[in-house]
Amino acid sequence: MSNRYVEMGMRSPVNLTWEVSLACNLRCTHCLSSSGEPAEGELSTAEALDLVEQLHEARVFQVNFGGGEPFMRPDFEEILAACHNRGIMTCISTNGTLLDAERVARLATSRLVAIQVSMDGASPETCDAIRGNGVFENAIEAIKLLAATSIPTSINTVLTTQNAGEIPAMHELAHSLGVSLRVSRFRPSGRGADNWEDLRPTPAQLLEFSDWLARSGDVRTGDSFFSLTSQERQGLGLNLCGAAKLTCCVGPTGNMYPCAFLQTDRFKAGSLREKSFQDIWDSSEIYDSFRSLRIHSCEECQRFDQCHGGCPAVAWHLKNDLNGGDPECLERCVTSIADANRTAAAA
Amino acid sequence: MHPACRARQEGFGLLFYDSRGPRLLFAETGTLLPPDYFGTVRDRDELPDGLSDNQKKALQRFVTKLLEKGFLREQPLR
Repeated sequence: MSNRYVEMGMRSPVNLTWEVSLACNLRCTHCLSSSGEPAEGELSTAEALDLVEQLHEARVFQVNFGGGEPFMRPDFEEILAACHNRGIMTCISTNGTLLDAERVARLATSRLVAIQVSMDGASPETCDAIRGNGVFENAIEAIKLLAATSIPTSINTVLTTQNAGEIPAMHELAHSLGVSLRVSRFRPSGRGADNWEDLRPTPAQLLEFSDWLARSGDVRTGDSFFSLTSQERQGLGLNLCGAAKLTCCVGPTGNMYPCAFLQTDRFKAGSLREKSFQDIWDSSEIYDSFRSLRIHSCEECQRFDQCHGGCPAVAWHLKNDLNGGDPECLERCVTSIADANRTAAAA
Repeated sequence: MHPACRARQEGFGLLFYDSRGPRLLFAETGTLLPPDYFGTVRDRDELPDGLSDNQKKALQRFVTKLLEKGFLREQPLR
């Protein structure tokens, strides 16, 4: 990834996360947006379709739909079709419980959609402890329906301390179902903040996962783990935070943010009910601040060129400091384990 | 262009996006090629009019690179 071009500034994001609703039929303990009931004043169908037109005019390549559970919105397939009619590629992050054969058949008529089904363990016990009773089996059924179509499908797993030991088994499960595996980072926002200490992977688990990723080139991680990425995976993705540079987030009520993990008033870049998508992308002070963000505290690190300070959202949530450097980067994991070993030896 | 790929104009030239990765390709083409140039089936050596020989050679190398990286697909003309 060439940072030079990114730093020149993009006319619009290459892709964005659109959380179309906070409504969700599950109550996952790590949910980044504390989803459950719909947010007050979510975008109407007309407003959502107008946003699709604006994204088309801005030449956004891809929209990644999330929530909440996108299929909880009765008009979601209409919004999806509007994207496809405009040539916008889409990826849906779903819990899979609302996918049946008829819906999957309708989705399969478009060649512009990919689907990620969330699962958080290779066994019902591990997965359902996070996502709720019976969800593992429901998700498996949904994946089987999707795998029988041409829709590119993946299992999306959020790495937690409970499932860290099952990630290779998740990989095997995905293979056995004929789909791919994507692993996402657990971040302390929404209910994830409430349950951070119970769910966060240990430094040793993160290091082990980093080693495993290095051997597993077919596993995708989106923008989640560039702070942990080993040399072997360089070139498979970003080596810097893409928020406000290559991507952004649209919330359920039309507010825009740098990323899905920073959906608070402090980071609100603008409202689509007050300004156009392009105006907000071009002139938001919040976006400007992210484009000029430099993690100076990490510049002396030998891995700086590989992660540029990691995820500012995690630094913000854990240290209240966007410039503080990612507290869970590879270097800090190694240091943390070494410190713990020294302490144990001294005792 | 491969159905999973798109291109658009940026200040430096063309930005290509491949949703299969996803991955990006930054091409310093300036305004030599419009982003919709790859939207239709063309002969491999077909380039816009009015280019110098050096520009044509550079763009032909670029088209070869796009083919190698999977952004473009080559097919026999019937």
